[in-house]
Amino acid sequence: MIEVLNLTKEYGQKIAVDNISFTIGKGEMVGYLGPNGAGKSTTLKMLVGLLEPTSGDITVAGFNAKTQQLKVKQSIGYIPEEAQLYEHLTLVEHLQLIGRLYHLEEQLITRKITDFTKLFEMEEQAYQRVSSFSQGMRQKCLIMGALLHNPDVLLFDEPFTNLDVTTVTFLKELLRRLAELGKTILYCTHILEVAERLCPRILIINEGKLIADAPVEELRKQTNQNALNEIFVQLTETTGIDDKTGEAVRIVTEAT
Amino acid sequence: MFEKFAIRFGADPVHYKLLMDNEKVLVERANEGKQGLAKLSLTLYCAFSFLISIFSALIVFIGIDVFIYTIIGVSMSMGIVAMWGLPYFDNLLSPMYYQVIAHTPISSRTYFMVKLTQILKSSVILLFCLNIFPSMCGIFLEGDDLTSLRYIFPIVYLPVAFLSGFFTIGVMAMFTGYLTKLYSIKKLQKIANFAQFVLPILFPFSFYLIPIEFFKENYNFIVRFLSYLPIGWFAGIVSLAIRNINRLGFQRDLLLTGIALGSTLLLILIPLRSIAKTYSGYLAFLLENVNINKKKLRIRRTLLSSFFKNRETYASFCLCALYMRRDKKILSQAVASSFGMLIMFTIFFIRKIYPIEIITYKYALGLSPGFMAFYGFFGMTILLGFLHAVRYSQHWKANWILSLSPSGNKAAMWRGTEFTTLFYLLIPLSLIAFLVSTYFWGIYGIFYVLPGFLLLNISVFTYPEPKSGLPLSEEIVEGEIGSGCVTMILYSIALALLIGILFLARFIHVWVYVGVYSIIVVGGIIVLFRYKKKPND
Repeated sequence: MIEVLNLTKEYGQKIAVDNISFTIGKGEMVGYLGPNGAGKSTTLKMLVGLLEPTSGDITVAGFNAKTQQLKVKQSIGYIPEEAQLYEHLTLVEHLQLIGRLYHLEEQLITRKITDFTKLFEMEEQAYQRVSSFSQGMRQKCLIMGALLHNPDVLLFDEPFTNLDVTTVTFLKELLRRLAELGKTILYCTHILEVAERLCPRILIINEGKLIADAPVEELRKQTNQNALNEIFVQLTETTGIDDKTGEAVRIVTEAT
Repeated sequence: MFEKFAIRFGADPVHYKLLMDNEKVLVERANEGKQGLAKLSLTLYCAFSFLISIFSALIVFIGIDVFIYTIIGVSMSMGIVAMWGLPYFDNLLSPMYYQVIAHTPISSRTYFMVKLTQILKSSVILLFCLNIFPSMCGIFLEGDDLTSLRYIFPIVYLPVAFLSGFFTIGVMAMFTGYLTKLYSIKKLQKIANFAQFVLPILFPFSFYLIPIEFFKENYNFIVRFLSYLPIGWFAGIVSLAIRNINRLGFQRDLLLTGIALGSTLLLILIPLRSIAKTYSGYLAFLLENVNINKKKLRIRRTLLSSFFKNRETYASFCLCALYMRRDKKILSQAVASSFGMLIMFTIFFIRKIYPIEIITYKYALGLSPGFMAFYGFFGMTILLGFLHAVRYSQHWKANWILSLSPSGNKAAMWRGTEFTTLFYLLIPLSLIAFLVSTYFWGIYGIFYVLPGFLLLNISVFTYPEPKSGLPLSEEIVEGEIGSGCVTMILYSIALALLIGILFLARFIHVWVYVGVYSIIVVGGIIVLFRYKKKPND
């Protein structure tokens, strides 16, 4: 469902994504991990068509992202890392806007909004403007928008940010069930515990390069580490944590 | 100068400079990549103000006295500065980047002074444009009691005009500050938005409130009445400076000068200081969320949804219609000043300053240049004003939602904006114009409205799309209000040409006129349909 071949994104001299390739099959849920600024969000933005790759090929749901970009957009549900929304719209109006942009029938939009707002316990906020929402409510708003048109491919960039424990638990289960139904999910995060529990397969990107692509079990064997955070530290060569911590303590406690 | 003033006022010099530099960078970066026209707004506003000042200054040649001349100049300058400053006070109430630095040890006074300085700085150029011409014309003032100082009138007048402008901003800041103590942030933002919308409309009513005959007959009473107002106080300074000591009214001018200087000083020392001190307390409310609304979920579907075959066009239509109602910045840019002008002209006609025949005179059925020009020009100001304003939004970052639209038909989405203009502005406006025309010409009024209606329709559908191709997708930069002027001028020329061609045709022969009128109407309809079909092809 997602095929990425030799994908590169350059910003002038800086290479944000460096010649990465991976394939994600139908019904597969993959965690996409990496330190801050590693190139995770840039990859996702190229997959959804918000950024143009410098080179390389992307195929999503059987469509080439360069030549069939609109078909790619039709088949994806996307949650960006920042909850940028039209603040003057209410929740209902926001979802109506999304539904119409994806050519859903008015009746279907109405039904889905009614059900989604109940499910996400946002009936009381349905007619409130997004500007009055908490960060968690905004995130729910984005999730509802991403799922509204029943996309085949879900590209989520830190989807559980600011959500309460109950909602996160519910959403994890929902994603698992959607994957069982054949949806392809690329889940971008730096919260390793969630990725470890949710995703059977992990991709790790560091400084724009893909440094690991394997099931969690295989990564454990390769690195002789048990916890994903230890695997991550080893693979991204984040060494000298002790020295770094000592230096940090010195800077913090330096006389002001 | 501003820096010294701010530091004297209790602002931290390091923080003040830092924040000022930071705000400058933010504005510059927000302007990066903008088209040249967008950067012209302050220049255009200044040019417009300069033009108005010429009209007000020419009054010097009707033999007016120095006190009244200064009152006219100063009140015009104070009024325009107040209107110019309103959007900045909106920013004072809800500063965009406050949350970024809210937790840092920047004092309330420093932050307030940074905001106030920005307003003052932007008004300096405007004040100069507003007052330079009246100050030079002041040399031609006549009167037995004038001293030779009138030859250096600009040197006397300009500082007073600047002082009165800063006084206006100070009073507005004080007023804003006290309102923050009385109302919640939501209410205040509504008040600020409402003021931006209503003031330009109500401003022309002052023409109606000041009875001209009464003014002529009761000169002394009016002068005394104006002396109670700040405009009179500042006029008193100029009057005191360039008139003889041995004359009637010297003591009045002396007293007014004292009041003007004293009140400015008091304004700075007491209320502004106090507000600056408590400003951060008010801003703390910005971080809170209010507005709990328990409504039963019942989603309405409008009849209009079946009118639109293209879903993107409908989505964009709904989005723009909602923003038109809820974002008062868009609404005020589109209609406030135009309605203000319309009301002003209506009052001029009622008070017979201009004869009503200007708009009712007809040369043939369907040819009343005055009516067509009024309808066409006001229509264009409103419609094109909206189409220009709707490009921008404070929520422009949400444009990823539109960019991800699967059909990618940006033209269809911009078409939604055009339909919003058509349904919510052009049709109601044309109905009003039709009603007015029926008052003059009965049912035949439709012939007077039709050419203008078609031209307005075409102007809406041919208005250039924004660079992004999407509505509400460009960042607002403070003071971009007038940048749609060039397009407006081009369409006004088209309107003038249309009227001119009809007039010329009538001048040649009545049947030539009938032919040209028919060609224009049929041609207009064909062009309109050609453009309306475009995005669905």
